[in-house]
Amino acid sequence: MNHATRVYDNIFEMMPSEENPTPMVKLNRINKSAEFPLYAKLEWMNPFGSVKDRAAWAMLKDLEERGEIGGQRGLVEPTSGNTGISLAAMARARGYHMRAVVPNKVPLEKKILLQIAGADLDVISDELCPAPGLGDGSINLAKTHAKASGHKYAMPNQYENEKNVEAHFRTTGPEIWKQTEGKITHLFVSLGTCGTVSGTSKFLRSKKPGVKVIAVQPTEGHDVPRLRNVSQLGVSKLFDSSLIDDILEVDFRLAYTRALELCQNEGLMAGPSSGLILEGALDIVMRDKKGFGVMIFPDNVFKYTSNMVKHIPRLGAGTTP
Amino acid sequence: MAKYANPETLVETDWVKENLGKPGIKLVEIDVDTKAYEAGHIPGAVGFNWQTQLQDQVRRDIISKEAFEKLVGGAGISPSDTVILYGDNNNWFAAYGFWLFEIYGHKDVRLMNGGRVKWLNEKDKPLTTEVPSVTPIQYKVTATHLELRAMLPQVFEAQKGNWNLVDVRSPDEFTGKVIAPPGMSETAQRGGHIPGAKSIPWSTAVGPDGTFKSPEELHRIYVEQKGVDSNKDTIAYCRIGERSSHTWFVLKHLIGLKNVKNYDGSWTEYGNVVAAPIEKG
Repeated sequence: MNHATRVYDNIFEMMPSEENPTPMVKLNRINKSAEFPLYAKLEWMNPFGSVKDRAAWAMLKDLEERGEIGGQRGLVEPTSGNTGISLAAMARARGYHMRAVVPNKVPLEKKILLQIAGADLDVISDELCPAPGLGDGSINLAKTHAKASGHKYAMPNQYENEKNVEAHFRTTGPEIWKQTEGKITHLFVSLGTCGTVSGTSKFLRSKKPGVKVIAVQPTEGHDVPRLRNVSQLGVSKLFDSSLIDDILEVDFRLAYTRALELCQNEGLMAGPSSGLILEGALDIVMRDKKGFGVMIFPDNVFKYTSNMVKHIPRLGAGTTP
Repeated sequence: MAKYANPETLVETDWVKENLGKPGIKLVEIDVDTKAYEAGHIPGAVGFNWQTQLQDQVRRDIISKEAFEKLVGGAGISPSDTVILYGDNNNWFAAYGFWLFEIYGHKDVRLMNGGRVKWLNEKDKPLTTEVPSVTPIQYKVTATHLELRAMLPQVFEAQKGNWNLVDVRSPDEFTGKVIAPPGMSETAQRGGHIPGAKSIPWSTAVGPDGTFKSPEELHRIYVEQKGVDSNKDTIAYCRIGERSSHTWFVLKHLIGLKNVKNYDGSWTEYGNVVAAPIEKG
């Protein structure tokens, strides 16, 4: 393993760490505030394409170390895509099978990518009528497989697994601390399993208790893949409100238009959840005036072309002769 | 503490575990997501598919008496067995199945409180993928109770004010903002609700863990707060009759109202009827 020459013996040596962080890039055109620079931490530069590489790798290693996986026993995981893609690719590279349980609303690109990465796919119909106690259909189906076919499946369960939080405490937090030389004042994140926010916030606050942690949420009824609205957060046991200063609710349509601005004005090919985070960060730049912001951009736009066209129809125009 | 009106119609997950495999106890899983049974079910449970096995496949109707006899007998269930129903989505279709078993006069049918989610999340409760081998038997329906079912003419009659009409759909379906939850293939031409209906979404009856609220709470909410008049007969409806089966069960067996009907035609029938009066908002 040599991070200087970037020559590696296997893909896992590329996993991010303080010595091999994902890049941070300053915004130059969308945010012009000299008093409050905003840096994007490009999580799509991880080997399997998203921030989820961190949690997936930590959970997979933990299962290996505890002897919970191997032989006939592979993985089953409920996922909106990214965790499944990371887990499936990692699992297959290490010789395990993987079943991914995904809600139907997950974009087609992600479903195909899951199969390309080698996952067996279970697509379930979306919730018919939101109600207490239902839980989440994909989580319940994955749990059913793990319980009824324990000899075939171990379930990492990203929504409850402390290794998810620990991965960010061990890598994302220290990377940002080192990359900003301790200058960070504001951290901007989205909420899914809440592993990123909980682990990164815990680390940064241990170094600098005043760091403000801002979580950005789509409005209810959204279709921004992988994100959860406040009312949906009950499903994640990793959500800890004491580690978050503000939860901003942003009109979900802005996720798509802001993502397009990032693509077209900064050269950052960011996906819709990054667009949402940017919108929240710009609000805080206006509010707090001074600071040093880091936005964790979870993945790039390549998996979301159909969602982008749905919300910005002109992108679909002129694509036929 | 007060009891449910018909406490024998509800069993807890612990009771089911203690009685697994006992003769005369038959478990049936009925889900919205028909993949769930295949992925894992309670040992010994058979699975019924609501779309292909509980509905007539030609006309829009519940299955006939003969089809019911064939289905239930084919699952090795006899008229003297205790049938325990459970399923996903808080027992929606399990409640629909319960209603069907009562229509066809099965004497001892019960719902597992909390449904499959509760069982799934309890560590001591096993699941299996093994489909039980059953010996088909002759099942004979000896009594039918079609009075548990409301048909369109009664729904018009009920609007004269002598009935409680309970709309259990989501608030947006009730007001007419949406005609059906997104992505549903069964829908209607018009949105809104039956004139005079009260909006009491089905989920009002359950707590955060999916089990039914206490007898006192149910009485307070439905009768005192929402104004369901216990001196009147009642019709519950939703979109296709499954969520309203859940509320039908609550009103009839847990609260104990005297004459409660499930209108399984529900909004997909009523919202398509030419010239039927509709209220919005």
